[in-house]
Amino acid sequence: MMSVTPYLILSAILLVLGLAIVISKRNAIVMLIGVEFILNAAALNLVAFSRHGIGGLAGQTAALFVIVIAAAEAVVALAIFLNFYHRIATVDIDQGDQLKG
Amino acid sequence: MLERLIFFLFALPAVVAGVAILLSTNIVRMAFWLITMLIAVAGLYFLMGAYFLGMIQILVYVGGVAVLLVFGVMLTSRQMAAKLRPGRIESLWLAGVSAVLLLGLVLSVVHAHWEQGPAVAASSPADIGHSLMGDFLGPFELASVLLLVAMLGAAYLARPKVPAQSPQGGRGTTL
Repeated sequence: MMSVTPYLILSAILLVLGLAIVISKRNAIVMLIGVEFILNAAALNLVAFSRHGIGGLAGQTAALFVIVIAAAEAVVALAIFLNFYHRIATVDIDQGDQLKG
Repeated sequence: MLERLIFFLFALPAVVAGVAILLSTNIVRMAFWLITMLIAVAGLYFLMGAYFLGMIQILVYVGGVAVLLVFGVMLTSRQMAAKLRPGRIESLWLAGVSAVLLLGLVLSVVHAHWEQGPAVAASSPADIGHSLMGDFLGPFELASVLLLVAMLGAAYLARPKVPAQSPQGGRGTTL
Protein backbone atom coordinates (compact mmCIF):
# COMPACT_ATOMS: atom_id res chain seq x y z
CA MET A 1 0.00 0.00 0.00
CA MET A 2 1.72 3.16 -1.19
CA SER A 3 1.22 6.51 0.47
CA VAL A 4 -0.25 9.47 -1.37
CA THR A 5 3.11 11.28 -1.58
CA PRO A 6 4.60 9.66 -4.73
CA TYR A 7 1.46 10.51 -6.67
CA LEU A 8 1.61 14.12 -5.49
CA ILE A 9 5.29 14.40 -6.44
CA LEU A 10 4.58 12.98 -9.92
CA SER A 11 1.69 15.41 -10.22
CA ALA A 12 3.97 18.33 -9.27
CA ILE A 13 6.51 17.23 -11.90
CA LEU A 14 3.81 17.02 -14.58
CA LEU A 15 2.49 20.46 -13.59
CA VAL A 16 5.93 22.07 -13.87
CA LEU A 17 6.60 20.34 -17.21
CA GLY A 18 3.27 21.55 -18.57
CA LEU A 19 3.94 25.09 -17.38
CA ALA A 20 7.40 25.03 -18.98
CA ILE A 21 5.88 23.83 -22.27
CA VAL A 22 3.25 26.59 -22.22
CA ILE A 23 5.86 29.24 -21.48
CA SER A 24 8.63 28.17 -23.85
CA LYS A 25 6.77 27.10 -27.02
CA ARG A 26 5.48 29.74 -29.42
CA ASN A 27 3.18 27.38 -31.35
CA ALA A 28 -0.44 27.66 -30.22
CA ILE A 29 -1.18 23.94 -30.58
CA VAL A 30 1.90 22.96 -28.60
CA MET A 31 0.76 25.34 -25.87
CA LEU A 32 -2.53 23.41 -25.86
CA ILE A 33 -0.50 20.22 -25.25
CA GLY A 34 1.08 21.92 -22.23
CA VAL A 35 -2.36 22.82 -20.90
CA GLU A 36 -3.37 19.15 -21.19
CA PHE A 37 -0.33 18.28 -19.03
CA ILE A 38 -1.43 20.74 -16.35
CA LEU A 39 -5.02 19.48 -16.34
CA ASN A 40 -3.85 15.86 -16.10
CA ALA A 41 -1.61 16.75 -13.16
CA ALA A 42 -4.61 18.24 -11.35
CA ALA A 43 -6.81 15.22 -12.10
CA LEU A 44 -4.09 12.84 -10.91
CA ASN A 45 -3.97 14.75 -7.62
CA LEU A 46 -7.72 14.46 -7.15
CA VAL A 47 -7.78 10.72 -7.85
CA ALA A 48 -4.82 10.10 -5.53
CA PHE A 49 -6.61 11.87 -2.68
CA SER A 50 -9.78 9.95 -3.43
CA ARG A 51 -7.82 6.68 -3.36
CA HIS A 52 -6.35 7.39 0.05
CA GLY A 53 -9.58 8.11 1.82
CA ILE A 54 -9.54 11.90 1.65
CA GLY A 55 -12.91 13.18 0.48
CA GLY A 56 -14.39 9.84 -0.47
CA LEU A 57 -15.50 9.42 -4.08
CA ALA A 58 -15.62 13.19 -4.68
CA GLY A 59 -12.07 13.17 -6.10
CA GLN A 60 -12.91 10.74 -8.88
CA THR A 61 -16.07 12.65 -9.79
CA ALA A 62 -14.13 15.92 -9.88
CA ALA A 63 -11.52 14.28 -12.12
CA LEU A 64 -14.36 13.30 -14.46
CA PHE A 65 -15.35 16.97 -14.65
CA VAL A 66 -11.73 17.89 -15.37
CA ILE A 67 -11.79 15.57 -18.40
CA VAL A 68 -15.10 17.08 -19.60
CA ILE A 69 -13.79 20.63 -19.29
CA ALA A 70 -10.50 19.72 -20.99
CA ALA A 71 -12.42 18.31 -23.96
CA ALA A 72 -14.57 21.46 -24.25
CA GLU A 73 -11.49 23.68 -23.92
CA ALA A 74 -9.57 21.79 -26.61
CA VAL A 75 -12.48 22.01 -29.07
CA VAL A 76 -13.03 25.76 -28.66
CA ALA A 77 -9.31 26.56 -28.61
CA LEU A 78 -8.71 24.60 -31.83
CA ALA A 79 -11.60 26.40 -33.55
CA ILE A 80 -10.07 29.73 -32.50
CA PHE A 81 -6.60 28.66 -33.70
CA LEU A 82 -8.02 27.57 -37.07
CA ASN A 83 -9.58 31.03 -37.50
CA PHE A 84 -6.26 32.55 -36.43
CA TYR A 85 -4.49 30.42 -39.04
CA HIS A 86 -6.90 31.43 -41.79
CA ARG A 87 -6.37 35.10 -40.97
CA ILE A 88 -2.57 35.32 -40.76
CA ALA A 89 -1.46 31.90 -42.15
CA THR A 90 0.46 30.81 -39.06
CA VAL A 91 -0.18 29.57 -35.53
CA ASP A 92 2.80 31.47 -34.16
CA ILE A 93 1.23 33.37 -31.28
CA ASP A 94 3.85 36.13 -31.51
CA GLN A 95 2.17 37.19 -34.79
CA GLY A 96 -1.17 37.73 -33.07
CA ASP A 97 -0.38 41.23 -31.86
CA GLN A 98 -3.02 43.17 -33.79
CA LEU A 99 -4.81 44.14 -30.60
CA LYS A 100 -1.68 45.89 -29.35
CA GLY A 101 -2.65 49.37 -28.17
CA MET B 1 6.48 -3.64 -3.65
CA LEU B 2 4.75 -4.67 -6.85
CA GLU B 3 2.54 -1.59 -6.63
CA ARG B 4 5.62 0.63 -6.38
CA LEU B 5 7.15 -1.11 -9.42
CA ILE B 6 4.00 -0.59 -11.49
CA PHE B 7 3.84 3.02 -10.31
CA PHE B 8 7.32 3.71 -11.67
CA LEU B 9 6.47 1.77 -14.83
CA PHE B 10 3.75 4.34 -15.52
CA ALA B 11 5.31 7.43 -13.90
CA LEU B 12 8.53 7.21 -15.92
CA PRO B 13 6.88 7.43 -19.39
CA ALA B 14 4.76 10.39 -18.24
CA VAL B 15 7.82 12.38 -17.12
CA VAL B 16 9.90 11.30 -20.14
CA ALA B 17 7.06 12.45 -22.41
CA GLY B 18 7.07 15.91 -20.85
CA VAL B 19 10.84 16.28 -21.17
CA ALA B 20 10.73 15.00 -24.75
CA ILE B 21 8.08 17.58 -25.68
CA LEU B 22 10.21 20.32 -24.12
CA LEU B 23 13.27 19.27 -26.15
CA SER B 24 11.58 18.30 -29.41
CA THR B 25 10.96 20.59 -32.37
CA ASN B 26 8.68 18.23 -34.32
CA ILE B 27 5.00 18.89 -33.60
CA VAL B 28 3.75 15.47 -34.72
CA ARG B 29 6.22 13.78 -32.35
CA MET B 30 5.01 16.08 -29.57
CA ALA B 31 1.46 14.86 -30.19
CA PHE B 32 2.73 11.27 -29.97
CA TRP B 33 4.42 12.02 -26.63
CA LEU B 34 1.20 13.63 -25.40
CA ILE B 35 -0.63 10.37 -26.15
CA THR B 36 2.11 8.48 -24.25
CA MET B 37 1.57 10.68 -21.20
CA LEU B 38 -2.22 10.32 -21.37
CA ILE B 39 -2.02 6.51 -21.50
CA ALA B 40 0.49 6.48 -18.64
CA VAL B 41 -1.85 8.58 -16.48
CA ALA B 42 -4.72 6.24 -17.41
CA GLY B 43 -2.54 3.35 -16.20
CA LEU B 44 -2.03 5.16 -12.90
CA TYR B 45 -5.82 5.53 -12.61
CA PHE B 46 -6.15 1.76 -13.08
CA LEU B 47 -3.44 1.25 -10.45
CA MET B 48 -5.42 3.39 -8.01
CA GLY B 49 -8.59 1.39 -8.61
CA ALA B 50 -10.37 4.10 -10.59
CA TYR B 51 -11.19 1.77 -13.47
CA PHE B 52 -14.07 3.82 -14.88
CA LEU B 53 -11.95 6.97 -14.89
CA GLY B 54 -9.09 5.13 -16.63
CA MET B 55 -11.45 3.97 -19.35
CA ILE B 56 -12.86 7.49 -19.77
CA GLN B 57 -9.32 8.88 -19.89
CA ILE B 58 -8.41 6.56 -22.77
CA LEU B 59 -11.72 6.99 -24.61
CA VAL B 60 -12.12 10.76 -24.32
CA TYR B 61 -8.52 11.95 -24.10
CA VAL B 62 -6.63 9.55 -26.36
CA GLY B 63 -9.59 8.86 -28.64
CA GLY B 64 -10.94 12.40 -28.79
CA VAL B 65 -8.74 15.24 -27.60
CA ALA B 66 -5.40 13.83 -28.80
CA VAL B 67 -6.80 12.97 -32.23
CA LEU B 68 -8.29 16.47 -32.40
CA LEU B 69 -4.87 17.94 -31.61
CA VAL B 70 -3.20 15.83 -34.30
CA PHE B 71 -5.91 17.04 -36.69
CA GLY B 72 -5.10 20.63 -35.75
CA VAL B 73 -1.39 19.99 -36.27
CA MET B 74 -2.05 18.61 -39.75
CA LEU B 75 -4.32 21.54 -40.69
CA THR B 76 -1.86 24.20 -39.57
CA SER B 77 1.41 22.46 -40.39
CA ARG B 78 4.13 24.94 -41.23
CA GLN B 79 7.76 24.58 -40.37
CA MET B 80 8.42 26.83 -37.42
CA ALA B 81 11.12 24.81 -35.69
CA ALA B 82 13.11 27.89 -34.79
CA LYS B 83 10.19 29.20 -32.77
CA LEU B 84 9.85 25.90 -30.89
CA ARG B 85 13.19 26.18 -29.17
CA PRO B 86 13.77 29.11 -26.80
CA GLY B 87 17.01 31.06 -26.87
CA ARG B 88 19.90 30.39 -24.53
CA ILE B 89 19.04 33.06 -21.96
CA GLU B 90 15.33 32.18 -22.09
CA SER B 91 16.21 28.52 -21.51
CA LEU B 92 18.26 29.43 -18.45
CA TRP B 93 15.42 31.51 -17.04
CA LEU B 94 12.94 28.73 -17.79
CA ALA B 95 15.09 26.07 -16.12
CA GLY B 96 15.66 28.26 -13.07
CA VAL B 97 12.02 29.20 -12.56
CA SER B 98 10.85 25.62 -13.18
CA ALA B 99 13.41 24.20 -10.73
CA VAL B 100 12.41 26.67 -8.00
CA LEU B 101 8.70 25.97 -8.53
CA LEU B 102 9.26 22.19 -8.54
CA LEU B 103 11.42 22.36 -5.43
CA GLY B 104 8.80 24.39 -3.57
CA LEU B 105 5.98 22.05 -4.59
CA VAL B 106 7.88 18.86 -3.71
CA LEU B 107 9.07 20.23 -0.37
CA SER B 108 5.57 21.29 0.62
CA VAL B 109 4.12 17.94 -0.47
CA VAL B 110 6.73 15.95 1.46
CA HIS B 111 6.43 18.00 4.63
CA ALA B 112 2.63 18.15 4.72
CA HIS B 113 0.93 15.60 6.98
CA TRP B 114 -1.93 14.16 4.99
CA GLU B 115 -4.70 12.62 7.05
CA GLN B 116 -4.71 9.33 5.22
CA GLY B 117 -7.48 6.91 5.90
CA PRO B 118 -7.40 3.29 4.79
CA ALA B 119 -7.23 2.79 1.06
CA VAL B 120 -10.65 2.90 -0.53
CA ALA B 121 -11.66 -0.21 -2.42
CA ALA B 122 -11.92 0.00 -6.19
CA SER B 123 -15.03 1.93 -7.11
CA SER B 124 -17.58 0.59 -9.53
CA PRO B 125 -19.12 2.77 -12.26
CA ALA B 126 -22.40 2.54 -10.33
CA ASP B 127 -20.81 4.35 -7.36
CA ILE B 128 -19.64 7.18 -9.63
CA GLY B 129 -23.09 7.32 -11.20
CA HIS B 130 -24.71 7.68 -7.78
CA SER B 131 -22.16 10.38 -6.90
CA LEU B 132 -22.90 12.24 -10.16
CA MET B 133 -26.65 12.06 -9.70
CA GLY B 134 -26.49 12.82 -5.98
CA ASP B 135 -23.90 15.18 -4.55
CA PHE B 136 -22.73 16.48 -7.92
CA LEU B 137 -26.06 16.96 -9.69
CA GLY B 138 -25.56 20.72 -10.06
CA PRO B 139 -22.05 20.52 -11.54
CA PHE B 140 -23.24 17.61 -13.73
CA GLU B 141 -26.00 19.74 -15.29
CA LEU B 142 -23.60 22.67 -15.64
CA ALA B 143 -21.12 20.40 -17.43
CA SER B 144 -23.79 19.31 -19.90
CA VAL B 145 -24.64 22.97 -20.62
CA LEU B 146 -20.91 23.70 -20.98
CA LEU B 147 -20.54 20.90 -23.54
CA LEU B 148 -23.51 22.23 -25.51
CA VAL B 149 -22.10 25.78 -25.45
CA ALA B 150 -18.65 24.53 -26.49
CA MET B 151 -20.14 22.54 -29.37
CA LEU B 152 -22.19 25.50 -30.63
CA GLY B 153 -19.27 27.89 -30.15
CA ALA B 154 -16.83 25.65 -32.03
CA ALA B 155 -19.33 25.13 -34.86
CA TYR B 156 -19.88 28.89 -35.07
CA LEU B 157 -16.15 29.69 -35.06
CA ALA B 158 -15.30 27.06 -37.67
CA ARG B 159 -18.28 27.80 -39.96
CA PRO B 160 -17.63 28.47 -43.65
CA LYS B 161 -17.48 32.19 -44.34
CA VAL B 162 -20.18 33.66 -46.55
CA PRO B 163 -18.64 34.88 -49.83
CA ALA B 164 -19.82 38.48 -49.31
CA GLN B 165 -17.60 38.77 -46.25
CA SER B 166 -14.39 37.57 -47.89
CA PRO B 167 -13.17 40.01 -50.56
CA GLN B 168 -10.83 37.43 -52.15
CA GLY B 169 -13.92 35.47 -53.09
CA GLY B 170 -14.26 31.84 -52.17
CA ARG B 171 -11.09 31.40 -50.18
CA GLY B 172 -13.07 31.01 -47.01
CA THR B 173 -15.79 28.86 -48.54
CA THR B 174 -13.59 25.83 -49.05
CA LEU B 175 -13.38 25.08 -45.32
